[in-house]
Amino acid sequence: MEHATGPTRWILLTFSIIIVWQVIRAQRGHRPFIRRIPGLTAIDEAVGRAVEMGRPILSSVGLGGIDIVTLQALAIVTNVAAVAARFGSRLLLPVRNAALVPVAEDAIRNAYNAAGRPDAFHEEDILFLSGEQFAYAAGIAGIIQRERVAATFLFGTFFAESLIIAENANQVGAIQVAGTPSTTQIPFFIVSCDYVIIGDEFYGATAYLTRQPTLMGSLAGQDLVKGLLLALILVGAVLLTANVPVVRNLFSDRDLASLAAYFLPTPEGR
Amino acid sequence: MGLFVPQSGPLLWLFIVGALLFGGLCLFLLTLAPPRARKPLIAAVTFLAGLFFAAEFFWPVATSGDNIGKNFLTPYLKPVSDMTTVLQAFALGVGIYSLLNVHLRAIARRRQGWGFSVVLVGSILAIAVPALWKEYDRENTVARGLYTLAYDGGFNALNAAMFSIVAFYIVSAAYRAFRARSVEATILLCSALVVILGQIAVGQALTSWLPAEGFAANFRLEILRNWILTRVNAPAVLAIELGIGIGALATSLRLWLSLEQGSYFEEEV
Repeated sequence: MEHATGPTRWILLTFSIIIVWQVIRAQRGHRPFIRRIPGLTAIDEAVGRAVEMGRPILSSVGLGGIDIVTLQALAIVTNVAAVAARFGSRLLLPVRNAALVPVAEDAIRNAYNAAGRPDAFHEEDILFLSGEQFAYAAGIAGIIQRERVAATFLFGTFFAESLIIAENANQVGAIQVAGTPSTTQIPFFIVSCDYVIIGDEFYGATAYLTRQPTLMGSLAGQDLVKGLLLALILVGAVLLTANVPVVRNLFSDRDLASLAAYFLPTPEGR
Repeated sequence: MGLFVPQSGPLLWLFIVGALLFGGLCLFLLTLAPPRARKPLIAAVTFLAGLFFAAEFFWPVATSGDNIGKNFLTPYLKPVSDMTTVLQAFALGVGIYSLLNVHLRAIARRRQGWGFSVVLVGSILAIAVPALWKEYDRENTVARGLYTLAYDGGFNALNAAMFSIVAFYIVSAAYRAFRARSVEATILLCSALVVILGQIAVGQALTSWLPAEGFAANFRLEILRNWILTRVNAPAVLAIELGIGIGALATSLRLWLSLEQGSYFEEEV
């Protein structure tokens, strides 16, 4: 059972306050700059290609349950759905978690409504395949081969099935955009997909796509926190190298383990 | 805590009926609430649910005594987490409905590939029927045999087959990635070659003539492999994970405090 130790408590609280402060600041009119992310700029290109070819688009939000990663992946896919609805393309979203079906249906339906194309939304395009990892992968591979999808958008938590999905899409010549916080799967996506968004780009994607002040403020907060963490790491490294005991006294091994457990979670699955 | 202890006998049925009635009442009251009040209500429930987990994580824990490493909220962590499991169990019905809705329609309308839908529905029955039969008649050897045949003989074997396919896909993906078409791809090719050779005995034998100690030892393939993995690869992965951790914190905060706007094209509930 993980619990926050002294310094972890204050560090996380400070970081949270910084992020919320930046969100409020953005809501009050301050708009931070967001650099270009090629993988997300490619969404229009991929959807346009699907329309030209008259083939559907396939999305996946990975193997996760209803958690932060999957909800963020769904937010990205929802934005892809809005583009697909605008262009008049069909979007297929096979899911692995049954609880996600109504949530995904609602979000995608909203995206089609927002794009002014409620008629183009088909409930059966958001389908539950299987709760089992490889049955899900086999199901997606089958859909890719049968429908000859023109583009795939793979966002979320992935394990060994990432390569099965991406390589099958590669075989049918689909343009592929992927993004995952599962660091063990990033290399697989890099070698088999056209565009990959990595690291915190995954969490910055919705801000980039929607330009909503709340999301842009959150992104600015993330960058501030990252800068602060880098400064802490640098100062800590210098002080430790100079053998200044204050760092060792401030953070016990348990504190460092607690911080590491929060920021560097151990991946599960195979 | 008595409420969260597993029940049996008539009390179990009382709890089930009570939970269903309570759930139904909550849903009914939610439909009665004016539309403008629904969003704040959902935000309040989300905040309270998130507050429990946050408070449990941040509240100081006992450092001695019987409850070492626990705080006053820790005993409730499992029951509250179990609620999520119960919700997931209900959602499985939604999933099966979604699956059957697509495939039974395909069979009824004789859509292209409807034969696969027949196989799928048949497979569901082939696993579900013996599994339920076995569960309610534990002594029945026929039920157990059918289940073992379908699950261990069929499903597990197919699962292993799908996993093994990954090996072939790794080769085809690596072939494309390792073609030295750019400077980056060439660096990838060279470092991958060193890691692969440093990992296997044949590769290690290539530089085994180098001394095991001293400056020249740094050029032994297994040392180079170790250097790439721990000094080049690991920091990059840790940096990515750090960014992901901060991103997850920001997204969690937005969802918990109901600050998320525009991501899901929300409509007024």
